[in-house]
Amino acid sequence: MISLSAISKVYGKKDTAFTALSDISFEVPAGSTLAVIGKSGSGKSTLMHIMSGLDRPTSGTIKIDDVELFNMKPKAMDAFRAGTMSFIFQAFFVEANQSCYQNVMLPLEIGQVPRRKRKSLVMNALKAVELDDKAGVLAGNLSGGQKQRLAIARAIVNQPKILFADEPTGNLDSTTGEKIMQLLFNLNKDLGCTLVLVTHDHELAARCQHQITIKDGHIESIVDRRAARKAQA
Amino acid sequence: MYTTDLIRRSGRSLASAKTRTLLTAIAIAVGTFALTLTLGASNGVQSYVKKIIANNFDPAELIVTADSGLINKTDTTKPQEYDSSFGSLTTAAGATVQVKKLTDADLLRLSQLPGVQRVRPAVSVALQYVTRPGMRKYVGTLTAYSSSQKPDLAAGTLGDDVPAGSIILPDGFLSSLGFSSAQAAIGQTVTIAVQPAFDQTSLQSAFASGGTAALSQLATPATTLQTYKIAAVSKTSTFSQPGTSLYLYASLAETQKLSDLTTKGTSSYRRYLTAFVKAADGTNPKKLDAVQTEVKALGYGAQSVADTEAFLTQIITILQGIVVAFGIIAVVASLFGIINTMYISVLQRTREIGLMKALGMRKRDINSLFRMEAALIGFLGGILGAGAAVLLGLVLNPWISNKLGLGGDPLLIFNYLQIALLVAALMIVATLAGLLPARKASRLNPIDALRTE
Ligand SMILES: Nc1ncnc2c1ncn2[C@@H]1O[C@H](COP(=O)(O)OP(=O)(O)O)[C@@H](O)[C@H]1O
Ligand SMILES: [Mg+2]
Repeated sequence: MISLSAISKVYGKKDTAFTALSDISFEVPAGSTLAVIGKSGSGKSTLMHIMSGLDRPTSGTIKIDDVELFNMKPKAMDAFRAGTMSFIFQAFFVEANQSCYQNVMLPLEIGQVPRRKRKSLVMNALKAVELDDKAGVLAGNLSGGQKQRLAIARAIVNQPKILFADEPTGNLDSTTGEKIMQLLFNLNKDLGCTLVLVTHDHELAARCQHQITIKDGHIESIVDRRAARKAQA
Repeated sequence: MYTTDLIRRSGRSLASAKTRTLLTAIAIAVGTFALTLTLGASNGVQSYVKKIIANNFDPAELIVTADSGLINKTDTTKPQEYDSSFGSLTTAAGATVQVKKLTDADLLRLSQLPGVQRVRPAVSVALQYVTRPGMRKYVGTLTAYSSSQKPDLAAGTLGDDVPAGSIILPDGFLSSLGFSSAQAAIGQTVTIAVQPAFDQTSLQSAFASGGTAALSQLATPATTLQTYKIAAVSKTSTFSQPGTSLYLYASLAETQKLSDLTTKGTSSYRRYLTAFVKAADGTNPKKLDAVQTEVKALGYGAQSVADTEAFLTQIITILQGIVVAFGIIAVVASLFGIINTMYISVLQRTREIGLMKALGMRKRDINSLFRMEAALIGFLGGILGAGAAVLLGLVLNPWISNKLGLGGDPLLIFNYLQIALLVAALMIVATLAGLLPARKASRLNPIDALRTE
């Protein structure tokens, strides 16, 4: 469960102050899928950064499974984030001059996973994205879709509870993008990890259980398909 | 992150920018190369000086002079006031300095000091010539033998001293004196000629006693011939004192006798520039120090072997200091190369840093990652520079030794512990150079870093 209450984010000070987010409150149950929708510049990424503890809100609190995110000391916060969450970005951010294997290894090194467990974890993650035959290949030699699959393998290798994906298909053609989304939804089902999907694609968003539409830093609408389904029944 | 993971990651990052890494490392290697060679030369010179001293001096002995100024501090830039009780000496550069010499009374006084085992004046005689029947005449120097000199013998045997009526002949004289081998010379004889010298004192006394007749007799002095048996033939050693390879040696008593003959009636008669004072149990530095203090308290100059060694190595140390300074300047300059390289590395890897931070990597670990990268560059540069110096040294050593006439002794002696310490020191300063870039990396805001596209 991720719960946000009264989150605001103001960039700059006084004259140049710019409110990127104001009074955002909602809850996402553990294991569900959430789409954050909005136009470019509406504040989606800012919201994701704050939800994941990368950025501090100007005011408001975030709880992840009853842990107050911004009450932690930096060291504890790092450890918590290393053990709890992972990221997938629009621009992949895979290390071109490292092998696929080494790319996927990074979160395990950061999380200080014992060395003997690493190999099987990495290979399983690569298998899950069907890149196990590319383990020794340099990431720079992969195609765009393969790079994003590699990024996904890196994101799931540590078996995180929450997976943040910021426009994961933004740099891909629609066929490849569709495959990536299918993969993400399957992982959400199979691994039971919460998926937070930042997107401006309404079709994609519609496939998530929860949708939050942001406009100029405000919540324009919240859709809870599960709640709606329950109400119907 | 585990340290091994950090090291592996920083190593990989260096390997992925091979040219840049190598160029930065080479800059460090240049300074390291100079430093390693200098250290090697310093070790070699020190060992060479030690061997020379061990072969020529007894560590239990002090070299004592009447004039404490003779040792270390004769100032040739200021005029010295004339003192008739002083003898004069010509320096290697040709300057005349007056020096006070030791007398027999001084020697007696020294030998009576507590802790002194024996006092031995340094006596040598400028011979008129050395020859053998049917051979040409050669100039030569006869010096009192001391067992601490332990000459290498080409033939013959030697006890504690040279027997009375015998000498040690250096092998350089063998063929000139018509000997086919060192062995052939043993037991044979050489003839040594000495001639009384005269100086102002002897002239005055001759004139006073015998007038001009005595003077003219003095001007054509009688040559005294002495025949000596060759007890041993010494080999020219690389470790003999420079310039002494053709010295003939006889016992102190024998040398003294000839010296008396040549100096009788002059101001040099029974005057010694230096004497060797042997301390009882003098290899114990405390006992030697005690005697040295006493000798100095009496107003004499006293120098131990260690002092001599320090004096001999001093000038070399200064020269080496200059090379070391340049080496250090080179290393310092190359540190800016490291700083530059590391800043570029941080810049190029902004996104990677952002991602690592997003994945929960600690600030400290990111800092370590870049500091280790800098340390590795330092290590690489150190190994390259020291390795090249050692290789060059091993290749050139025989050639240099040959050119400098060091015999089989290498000029460059590499101490691997020293080199390891040097490389470790380089890694430390390289790490220091990496501090600022590493700090920059650890302080990067992951959001800004990940926005970079
Ligand atoms: N560091 C910053 N300083 C000032 N304004 C910022 C900063 N980061 C983002 N913004 C602004 O906040 C708004 C929201 O940005 P962002 O969350 O990246 O939008 P989205 O991801 O929806 O495209 C934008 O108008 C952007 O210009
Ligand atoms: Mg965005």
